[in-house]
Amino acid sequence: MTMQDMLNDLLANVVLMHTDDKLMLGHMQSDWTGLAPILEEDIAASAMSQDDLSHAMILMEWLSEKYGLDVDSIGFRRRAEDYRCCDLATVPDNFDWSVSLVRRWLLATFSSIGIDRLATTDDASLSARCRRIQDEQAIQLKYLSAWMVRLGSGTDESRERMQTALELLTPEAGMMFEPPDATLSDKDACCSDRDDVFQQWIEIVSPTLRDAGLTTTFELPDRQATGGRRGIHAAHFIEQLEEMTEVIGTDADASW
Amino acid sequence: MVTKDDIHAALELVPDPELPVSIVELGLVEDVTCDGSKAIIALLPTWSGCPALPMIESDVRQRVSALDGIDVCEVQWRYEPAWTPDRISADGRSKLKAHGVTTPQACGSKTLQAGVSLTTSAMKCPYCGSNQTRLDSPYGPTRCRAIYFCDGCRNQFEHMKPRSTSL
Repeated sequence: MTMQDMLNDLLANVVLMHTDDKLMLGHMQSDWTGLAPILEEDIAASAMSQDDLSHAMILMEWLSEKYGLDVDSIGFRRRAEDYRCCDLATVPDNFDWSVSLVRRWLLATFSSIGIDRLATTDDASLSARCRRIQDEQAIQLKYLSAWMVRLGSGTDESRERMQTALELLTPEAGMMFEPPDATLSDKDACCSDRDDVFQQWIEIVSPTLRDAGLTTTFELPDRQATGGRRGIHAAHFIEQLEEMTEVIGTDADASW
Repeated sequence: MVTKDDIHAALELVPDPELPVSIVELGLVEDVTCDGSKAIIALLPTWSGCPALPMIESDVRQRVSALDGIDVCEVQWRYEPAWTPDRISADGRSKLKAHGVTTPQACGSKTLQAGVSLTTSAMKCPYCGSNQTRLDSPYGPTRCRAIYFCDGCRNQFEHMKPRSTSL
């Protein structure tokens, strides 16, 4: 089995979409380790990055077993166009905590739905792995949603900054729903209908935004729109990928 | 001839790298099989991708391979069933409590209090026994532990997080 066999498999593409979101997000968010606004947040932000990287690893182990590829090759040695993450995962936050929080919350809500759905697939090993991830993901989501509400309904400054961050990231959010493969049918068992996933997502994010007093209108992009999920990545993804693979690129056998 | 009991006894000597309990007390050991000179130990990770897992794995291999009659020790990490703090033994619970770490069952509560809105909880302080405690953060020094604060004795303590979505 080769990397290409994996990339030709529809279910693998759906798994890679969540894997790569988590891999890149965990990498991005770990920039905050040592720098978060308060100590508890520093610990929590780092723990959530560890969650994301661990979840990516658990999913990559499944891909590794199924396609006989080594986990590091899947994580670090694919061509840029073979990564299936959406651009939102690597949008720079420029060390603005509100952008970092909103980015993470948007992706956590999306991946909760994806992981829940994958937890019911017929593949016993994949579904067991996703069930293992589910509750850690749910704790993250509760935690992040509580912070959305706390900052959205906090001071004038915190509300304004959260609203600005939300408006900045809203256009990127729609592309989370891009199918990772053009041939993936709308009713594919593991991915399900794009509109259906979007509707379910809106039902999750709306109460939090309402409680936070934040407003925005999310829209699904045109079906023809192509982005990160089909390998057409923004420049910021390429930069992050280069940074993330710098060590393995310099020393293939490095370990720490 | 090495028996399962011999292997269990060896596993009881494998400590958790961060807490003063063995991996048996922590409930990580799911299954032990012995086929001639080969032992297979199935373990459950507390939290996914916990950085202590490789350390535990190597300790287990070392301890079990040292048994007379065992040539190969294989460690398997399983995702099902999921580990929960309910698997911690009674001895493990009292050792953790003495260390300032509470466990869901021992406190009679299986769920954490709501997110970052800090409210009085029913989590009993391991130091003074007060119920006037509140969740400081669901993310503690490791991902399996949350941080609580006791208003009774003004001490912070850790709590083994339930694997529950009703945070």
